[in-house]
Amino acid sequence: MSVHAGDGPASAAKPLRTAARELAEIGAAIQETSAHATAALTDGAVLGALVRAPAEGYRAQRALLRAVTNRRGLGYAVAGGRLGGLAARAGGMAGAESLAVLILATSLRLRIAAVTEDHPELVADPLMGRLIEAVGADRDIQSLRALRAMLKDRGAVRTLSGLAPVFGEVLALRALLDENPLNDTAAWLIATGGGYASADPITGVSNRAIAVLDTGEGAARRLELDTAEVARLSSHGSLLGFLRNIGVVGTTGRVLIQSVTGPDGVARHVVQVPGMRFGRPDNDSPQDLLGAFSSAVLDSGPYSRALVKAIDDSGIPRGAEIALIGHSAGGAAIMNLAQDPAFCARYTVTHAVAIGSPVDFKRPADPRTWVASVTNQHDIIPTLDGQGAGGCFDLHPGWYVVDYFDATHLFPVCHGIEHYTANIANDLPEARDRIDHALTPYRGPVTRSQAYLLFDRVPDPDGFPFLTVPTYRVATPDGALELPVRCHDGGALTAYFAVDARAAAALLEGTGLGPAVRVAGRALVAVHASWNRRTSLGAYREVGLGIVVHDAWRPPSIRVWPDVARSARRRRSGSWLVGSVVDTETVSAVAPEVWGYEPSLADLDIELTARSVRIAAGGPEGRFLALRGWLGPGIPAGAPDLVAYSRHEGTTLRSCVETRGRGRVHPAPRARLVAGPAAHPMARHLRALGLDGARPLLCLSTFAHQTLRGAGVPVRTT
Amino acid sequence: MPAVPEAIAVHAGVLRSDALVLADCAERLREIEARLDADGAAPQWLRDTVNAHIAACLTASADLDEAATRLDVYAGRARR
Repeated sequence: MSVHAGDGPASAAKPLRTAARELAEIGAAIQETSAHATAALTDGAVLGALVRAPAEGYRAQRALLRAVTNRRGLGYAVAGGRLGGLAARAGGMAGAESLAVLILATSLRLRIAAVTEDHPELVADPLMGRLIEAVGADRDIQSLRALRAMLKDRGAVRTLSGLAPVFGEVLALRALLDENPLNDTAAWLIATGGGYASADPITGVSNRAIAVLDTGEGAARRLELDTAEVARLSSHGSLLGFLRNIGVVGTTGRVLIQSVTGPDGVARHVVQVPGMRFGRPDNDSPQDLLGAFSSAVLDSGPYSRALVKAIDDSGIPRGAEIALIGHSAGGAAIMNLAQDPAFCARYTVTHAVAIGSPVDFKRPADPRTWVASVTNQHDIIPTLDGQGAGGCFDLHPGWYVVDYFDATHLFPVCHGIEHYTANIANDLPEARDRIDHALTPYRGPVTRSQAYLLFDRVPDPDGFPFLTVPTYRVATPDGALELPVRCHDGGALTAYFAVDARAAAALLEGTGLGPAVRVAGRALVAVHASWNRRTSLGAYREVGLGIVVHDAWRPPSIRVWPDVARSARRRRSGSWLVGSVVDTETVSAVAPEVWGYEPSLADLDIELTARSVRIAAGGPEGRFLALRGWLGPGIPAGAPDLVAYSRHEGTTLRSCVETRGRGRVHPAPRARLVAGPAAHPMARHLRALGLDGARPLLCLSTFAHQTLRGAGVPVRTT
Repeated sequence: MPAVPEAIAVHAGVLRSDALVLADCAERLREIEARLDADGAAPQWLRDTVNAHIAACLTASADLDEAATRLDVYAGRARR
């Protein structure tokens, strides 16, 4: 365990870091001289006087040109101004380097050497050594080979974890010496500690250009934590307590604001902010990848703006004292608050503690704000601003900085809030005590805890607009039911089969419906399975078996096919429901009254992925239906509506399920339907239709849809 | 055009000053290397690298000094 705190590294690496910093200063000074010489060379006034003194002017121009192109002197050192910038880029593409760049490269190599003092495993590792040496010597092919060998030998995660302590330096070194002129500014900033790496040091793509994709004014909604979470929250203010709270809240899009009574009896407030939420890079939460990026790169982003909304809503009085504690992207977001003069004018930000965060170039608006930064040297995230374990600049002399390492080198384990909390609790007692001491005004009983769910922008009302419909209540024998039933989140699979037309006709006999829609002389039958994860009727699964029938009021026609694809409201054909199974008593109880059929109650298991399906009806002992196997490739399509016909007490009912969402058509499914041996009516029907062992002709799937399901409407069929 | 020779002379003055900066850089590089050597902290590759930088700084210093001198002469001629 090594701890570099406050006044910087104190190991044998210190002289190397000092030398690296001085070399960076020398590089910057030389770059300035290059810019001066370029300015003289390209100044119109200097060129304009050539007519008055052509010989002297020519000699002066030649001397200037030599000064900025002499490989033994300044190197290819055209720099500064528009012309200089263009010429410098052209030179970069040709691989011509300047003396300033070469000296900065030496500075970076010294930084790497300093890191290896603390991390001897870097040089002991032959592959890592090969990579660092090749990058430093500007040997592109060798460095690529070394990197490829590392990736092959230990995978991307272990390679990145191993490189983490020198990640910024290796990238900057490569960017300085490669032929890509777009990444030179980023490399220069990393090498001189001049600011946040403005671009990806590999490609040169502007970080700011990516960060501005994260848009939104930010929004926050109050949220109650569940009982188990509340029980795990700390009831007394302390650094470890706050960090554990961040662990409790997790990367779920939520933050926590607590009020504490300090030892002096004064109420103060602690904003506890987790890091990035894994998943889609851009979702409706500011805790996504783009949010992490924008929080780190920009002074304000949806994350910090949403935090402001939460804090403003929490009722913290103006001028009250606030401590901000953030992990990962949350650390960058809280530092954005700390450096926002308007926010600091409303509240007194006394402390900002960033754990595992890229915050080197953040600056609090109020110089009295006490700032602590704790980073693990194997954690890549804090190095994303370009400054990591090899940093040689005292970027924030007033901060309390703990830059440590432990035996856990694997990212992302070493980045987790639980890992940081454990390190601070067990391995960094001095740092813990120092930060806790600084947080003394907040070390008292917690009097209030309020969680917030954050959003990039004010979220749509639940279900808006599809599920924003008038509702009404109907009485059923099992109590009142609100219709239409609204499913906010569900998924479904409809598998179409071709069966013997006579068997289908036998089941349709006496219904007043039919005939069945035919495919190559066989009747079309659908097995529909839905997993309604969040509905106004609770969560439930349902599996139904239906025979697809023509419009009962017109002669059978080939025009049934376009009709099958119509929205439910305009569709005349539908499925005669032969049998149905649900897995909740509530749905089983209301279905006869509302939809006119009597589903049986059984265990249902529905698993649907982009390529496969697994549906099982009935428990392991009484399995009566199973559909499982590959769905094959899927073609994007809209999620289909459903129209079902059923019969209840002598009346035919037509009920519709309107669907909104994206679906897929699987034209070549390989799944197979199996009718179980159980004497369940569904199994009997499946066997009667010859579906035992059948493969579907076609499947339609949706993973995330919303549905509206109204009551069945009586229709006369005779 | 009295401003033009003055502008050229200003460039000459800046470059002459930069020549001194570069000479100073060479001296600072020498000190850094000596200090790391004395601390026993200098990596093996450092000596050759820093020596190359020092030589380049001195050459660059001479180049800038030469350019400054040429610019001064040019400015003087342009004044006439």
